[in-house]
Amino acid sequence: MDTIRICHLYNDILNLYGDTGNVVSMKKRLEWRGFGAEVTELSFGKFDTNTKFDIIFIGGGQDFEQGILTEDLFKYKADWLTGQIENDTTVLAICGGYQMLGNYYITDKGENIEFLGAVDFYTKASSPRMIGNIVYRTELNGGHNVAAFENHSGKTYLGKGVKPLGKVVKGFGNNGEDGTEGARYRNVFATYGHGPLLPKNPAFCDSILLSALKTHGVNDLSELDDRIENAALKNALDLYG
Amino acid sequence: MGVRSAFAVMAGKLTAFTLRILGKGATSLPGVVMLKLCPNILGDLAKDIKVICVTGTNGKTTTCHAIADMLTANGYTCLSNEAGANMINGVVSCFMNAASLTGKVKRDYAVLECDEASLKHITKSFGGLDVTVVVTNIFRDQLDRYGEVLTTLELIKKGLAFIPQVKLVLNADCSLTSSLAESMPHKDVRFFGVNCAFDHNSSSGISDAVYCIKCKSKYKYHSRTFGHLGDFYCENCGYRRQAPSVAAQQIKAFNTGSADITLLLDGKQYEAQITLPGAYNIYNGLAAAAVGKVAGLDDSRIIAALKKLTTPFGRMEHIALHDKGVELILVKNPAGFNEVISFLTAHCTGEDDILFGLNDNSADGTDVSWIWDVEFEKLCGRIDEVKTENQRFFFTGRRGEDLEVRLKYAGFDTNRFVLEKDYRTLIQKLRKTGRHTYMVLSYTVMLGFRDKLGEVVELKKYAR
Repeated sequence: MDTIRICHLYNDILNLYGDTGNVVSMKKRLEWRGFGAEVTELSFGKFDTNTKFDIIFIGGGQDFEQGILTEDLFKYKADWLTGQIENDTTVLAICGGYQMLGNYYITDKGENIEFLGAVDFYTKASSPRMIGNIVYRTELNGGHNVAAFENHSGKTYLGKGVKPLGKVVKGFGNNGEDGTEGARYRNVFATYGHGPLLPKNPAFCDSILLSALKTHGVNDLSELDDRIENAALKNALDLYG
Repeated sequence: MGVRSAFAVMAGKLTAFTLRILGKGATSLPGVVMLKLCPNILGDLAKDIKVICVTGTNGKTTTCHAIADMLTANGYTCLSNEAGANMINGVVSCFMNAASLTGKVKRDYAVLECDEASLKHITKSFGGLDVTVVVTNIFRDQLDRYGEVLTTLELIKKGLAFIPQVKLVLNADCSLTSSLAESMPHKDVRFFGVNCAFDHNSSSGISDAVYCIKCKSKYKYHSRTFGHLGDFYCENCGYRRQAPSVAAQQIKAFNTGSADITLLLDGKQYEAQITLPGAYNIYNGLAAAAVGKVAGLDDSRIIAALKKLTTPFGRMEHIALHDKGVELILVKNPAGFNEVISFLTAHCTGEDDILFGLNDNSADGTDVSWIWDVEFEKLCGRIDEVKTENQRFFFTGRRGEDLEVRLKYAGFDTNRFVLEKDYRTLIQKLRKTGRHTYMVLSYTVMLGFRDKLGEVVELKKYAR
């Protein structure tokens, strides 16, 4: 069977909230079904922009490194990443990685920091931070609500052509105001939910995998024994849903 | 000693006494009462005592314990807040416990574990006193509370700003911690560190300080121990590790309960043993040795004390649940947990079961995602080599299921998993197996579970 190539972008910086767990989850669930899974860690500096990836994953990080990160993004990765998104590569972006895909970020001092502009939304600094368990509804999680954790100070507002990934049941979501959570655009899945997101939302993980497997002619996935994952999801939803 | 503070001590003692009659623990409420009556109570009670504050992400409790062990072994009397009551109220309460009814504290030293965010509330009263502050390290910890590691660093700086006279004892190998020496006006700084790499069992996967705190270039290392700790340097701006005056020059052997090292004390080399389990505890032993130097102890006395260190509450605490016994191990964040994983990877056999417990109360961290920064894969590799038919992995706590998922994805055999959330039932199950069990528990699981253990076995009493 085919090998799926996963790119973990800025893996050494954007790994604050156990985000690597999302990559582990995708890799294992591919391997358990007999697919190959190859993870490439892509951090600062030049790289071969012709390398093909099926899934690009971007996690969340600290404010401290954001400066050097945007510098590298614009120097080496911006055109490539925008191109990948327009070519329908599957992208999972979480928290800081999510914000980075938008048009700009307005700091608490009112400065505009230009971001990638690959997806039409912007983020505005706010206080206090939005921290806590979050539960949201989406069709991507096999009929279950998603249980995750959010920790962000930015409020995100979606542009007209961009759909939210889900509707907030408990927690803040994009901005704590309009009930939206995350963003959907082409094959981009962006969310504030970490925890990490995919391990205990296994159906969501499979939705991401299916999005990437389409180009390999795969349209459905075999069932896995998800009793442990689903028990963790149920426990989190019972506690916080 | 003013009338006001003496009155406050009496009121505090009365509060504690009442709480005890009611059968409640009394580490913080007496402190609240005393601070209300006399805001500078801490400064009053500590004015004739040498104060040692220990702060940092990991190793606070063990380091305090080691310092108190060392000072006591050398004939000094100490008071300390042993139960991890490390915020202002807990610190005030422990002074109260040591004070006479007239508000006099007859001790040579106060060894105080200080929560990073609480340090400033504690040091505020120590202006002009003889104060030493030990900073063990700074790692990612409870991000739901602190935000990020630099926030922790800022909190410690605020605490130090109240005590310009402080003698600092800093971990040389932590680029975040050692930056405190330069950013503050303090002149009296002593560094401790490890002058060699740890063996391959130690983890260096996740780093909390990849880029230089001064210029944001990537750090390079001559040698690394674990996490971001090691002999770091920045090629761009020249920020680098300071040579420590108290150091492990060489690590000769990691044993189950101790480590044999070549110890460097102000340029002199000695063979020494630190009787604490786990590679990470070498740092805690070194921190205590550095405080020993600050206190003016003879080298021979420091070395003798290092050989007789004992583990504190919940840190590899042996409990005789049955013939084989069980070990309680507290875990609070990825760096600490990874060092426990290193320990288990080196020492766990097929005859050991492991219990993992995770809560998400505020003292544990409400965000449980940090368990994915823990390298269970490494432990899984070891278990694959040594596993036996009867080996089980137990899970408990409000978020025990999250740990099950984590270990499943690390490659553990889920047929050996047992989830049991009721502590009493769990203890009965563990008793029945009769097998030696490592119990790796987050903070509030540790507190609750240990209480239930106390119903069936005799436990060492710790102040609460």
